[in-house]
Amino acid sequence: MDDSVKQLLRQIIRKIPSSKLQSTLTKWDHLSKRQFRSLDFTQPKWLFCENLLSLCEENDLTVKQVTELDMLYHIEHPNQGTWYACQLVDAEEETLSSELVHFRESFKKHLKFLISHVAVKTKKNDDDSIWIRIAWGDNFTRPNHLKPSYVVHHLQTPYVFVSGLTAKYKPLLHQALVLSTRYGSITDVHLSGRCLSALRDLLMRQYKQVFPTKYPRPLQERNPLLSNPNIENEHMKHTENRLQMAAEAFGDGALPKLETAVYKLQTKYRDNGNEMLSGREEPFRGVVRFTSSNLLESLKSCVSSGMASAPVTPLLSSITQKGRNYFVITDKAPEISHTPGPKM
Amino acid sequence: MSLKPYSKLPELNTANVLLVENEEEFHKKLSEAIVRQENNVNVTVRLARCLPLPVENAESRPRIDLVVFIVHLRSEQSLLSAEASLKHLDSGYFLGKVCFLVTGARSGTVCYERLASIRKTAASLNCPLLMTEDKTTEGVHTAAQRVLNILKVSAGLVPMASGLYLSTLIRCTMPTDSDWQNQD
Repeated sequence: MDDSVKQLLRQIIRKIPSSKLQSTLTKWDHLSKRQFRSLDFTQPKWLFCENLLSLCEENDLTVKQVTELDMLYHIEHPNQGTWYACQLVDAEEETLSSELVHFRESFKKHLKFLISHVAVKTKKNDDDSIWIRIAWGDNFTRPNHLKPSYVVHHLQTPYVFVSGLTAKYKPLLHQALVLSTRYGSITDVHLSGRCLSALRDLLMRQYKQVFPTKYPRPLQERNPLLSNPNIENEHMKHTENRLQMAAEAFGDGALPKLETAVYKLQTKYRDNGNEMLSGREEPFRGVVRFTSSNLLESLKSCVSSGMASAPVTPLLSSITQKGRNYFVITDKAPEISHTPGPKM
Repeated sequence: MSLKPYSKLPELNTANVLLVENEEEFHKKLSEAIVRQENNVNVTVRLARCLPLPVENAESRPRIDLVVFIVHLRSEQSLLSAEASLKHLDSGYFLGKVCFLVTGARSGTVCYERLASIRKTAASLNCPLLMTEDKTTEGVHTAAQRVLNILKVSAGLVPMASGLYLSTLIRCTMPTDSDWQNQD
């Protein structure tokens, strides 16, 4: 086994936390049963790593098999690093769905044609999505397996999620994707976050949505606690209204986990008190950034507890309605404009 | 439309209390404790966030015997909302049918000016000011007991005592300047 391969394996093992090591190695399946049984998972990591290395040397594993371990770990635990969502647009007439085998071969071919020094690995996941791991290189260096990019594409949908991609290789990847899926082009959806399943749920509307109804459910079903007949809340109708509006704007149940929402303002300063800033012609540039461990949940509770005004302002509800979390707000149009998002 | 104390007829052996709180978290616990404790009298509790109360409930609402304003000293909004609600109360209530409940006065991080300001308001209106502890069950229990005592007097269920007499007795007073200096 090559030195570089050994080093790569060491780095990969180092990145995987000890608790997840056993399950990932079981799935990897490149060690024989006897070898696997001989591993002691309670050892300190560096010792374990050396043992594993010697076992792999026995089997004489290649770079491909070693990187498979990295990929398996990432598929199991995708929530490291930021994922960016893109959408393929302008489907040609024949493309309604991409077939797995065709897409795989076509993508590899196109990417290798655009840049020859890449290592591409694809894997089909259970939930009908295809994972692609790309290690980029150039004329002077071999593909760098320590900084791979991951691409997840759900075959029946036009959505692609990318993580770990630098700006240098972005156009190449986009071109390869567009060519292999036979769409017209690919655009950035301005949606990013750490949790891959959350991005997917938000874009494909897989969370529990609430639709406006003329006759909402009666009070008793929603609030069984206040069944004591002697206690009565004067503002019960208002509270119910607020809850309903919050649920309509953000959804019900477990909401997708977003971390940030960024609003870039390019509007004129409009406050009657401050004369120095309000008279100017050029727009007042500012950035408003909401950060939270679960942003949608916290916005929803702001609205339902009355801290934010209900009905929900369209600036906040567009996060779920449009499925994005980066907005640029300008003065002219009342809608939110679609200008280029942050550089990846 | 301000809340009027004597515009409705009283019922036999009943007492009604209105708990007003901006945050809407403590009044639920307090209401349950109040209703649980009292067995001899029919006690009804109405919960509100602020005054004025919604007009839709005006017919179904019984005569309110005591209005309790719950102020959390940790939040400025709580104090401001309570003071704004005071304006919507008919002046007849301030003769023994209003009470202030303050939570978090023991906390070291509390803003001293808020406590002084609420005391000044209560003193100027001749209303009692109760300090309560809202985090523990015993605190809620004690608060419920004290509120019930005042409520029974305000509803006229205690012979030889009326709300006006009681409020004059236990009303909040502002300490004089020499006391402030001694404390510092």
